[in-house]
Amino acid sequence: MCAMASYETKTRRFSRAEYERLIDLGVFQPGEPIELIGGELMVAEPQGVAHYTAIVKTARALEAAFGPGWHARTQGPIGLDDDSEPEPDVAVVPGGPEDYSRAHPSRPVLTVEAAESSLGVDRERKGSLYARAGLEDYWVLNLVDRVLEVYREPAPAARCSTPPPGSPRWPRPDRASPSRVSSLDWHDAS
Amino acid sequence: MTQAERPVLRRWSRHEYARLIDRGFLDEDDPIELLDGLLLVKEPQRSPRRTAVLLVAKALERAFGEGWFVQTQSPIILDDRSEPEPDVCVVRGSPRDYVDAHPTRPALVVEVAQSGLRLARGRKAAAYARARIADYWIVSLVDRVLEVHREPARPGPARRHWGYAAIETLGADATITPLSAPSAGIRVADLLP
Repeated sequence: MCAMASYETKTRRFSRAEYERLIDLGVFQPGEPIELIGGELMVAEPQGVAHYTAIVKTARALEAAFGPGWHARTQGPIGLDDDSEPEPDVAVVPGGPEDYSRAHPSRPVLTVEAAESSLGVDRERKGSLYARAGLEDYWVLNLVDRVLEVYREPAPAARCSTPPPGSPRWPRPDRASPSRVSSLDWHDAS
Repeated sequence: MTQAERPVLRRWSRHEYARLIDRGFLDEDDPIELLDGLLLVKEPQRSPRRTAVLLVAKALERAFGEGWFVQTQSPIILDDRSEPEPDVCVVRGSPRDYVDAHPTRPALVVEVAQSGLRLARGRKAAAYARARIADYWIVSLVDRVLEVHREPARPGPARRHWGYAAIETLGADATITPLSAPSAGIRVADLLP
């Protein structure tokens, strides 16, 4: 019955415009680590010492590698699409900070997430989000295994169902995974 | 580790939720309820559901009589992060008693569920049990039965979350007596659309 299939428990989604209005209204606590990901307000991973150190080192290395005319933003908002405003750990964008005084950058040339406990989220959810936005160079600095995972060639879901052996599996877009959605029905982490 | 790997949704307090409504960000009539800090989108009102809500309200008005009133799809306050709007609930007193604040402890809460059955049995049951709602009923339009949930029980070896220790499923030909209206008998058939 279609009436049944059409409803699943979900939370109120926010557009990026609504999210920015909420910020302007002062609804959130100052410095609250929130990101808008696909219309959902997510709480970011708490900053551990290793995580923060990795971000600073990465930003420094990328500033040096890209040279003048580029700027490595750390945990700054990216206006990715109509319902996403993530704050990647490091994002390399053209120009300098003053070029973004009116609007957040939308298409970093390189996006990096340093991941400790957020490894799964960074690979799947964020990977899918960045792929859908067409970000061509996405790195996950995996602090658990001390490796760098490099994700390139964003592709829609169908093309990546059979990844070449040995390559990291490209996160499939729209894994608004049933397990995660149905977990709303339950009393998960409270 | 598995816990931390799940994306974590930002939770809202009841105070913040009230501000979203005051600032005109959310409309009071938006089909949203606050449960465990989550802004949940409510199950759509299709006609069988609406009919069942009206039938339940009517039967409960009659069963409880004087000194109680029945509200439908109106907010109740459970805790700092939960302000759900149960389909039907029975509250002591009269509507004027709640001019300043929503009711907090209804004597009976009823949800009418079709596709929202998992939510009604899961997160909602947990929230009502935690708030010590003694009598919680689910009218299941899927199976055309009444589920009666009683005896709120805290998490422990037997259960991961708050829940009800006594759950009984009654068919259309059964009769149910609300805990707070011990002399009343309601035919389950009268609650079904």
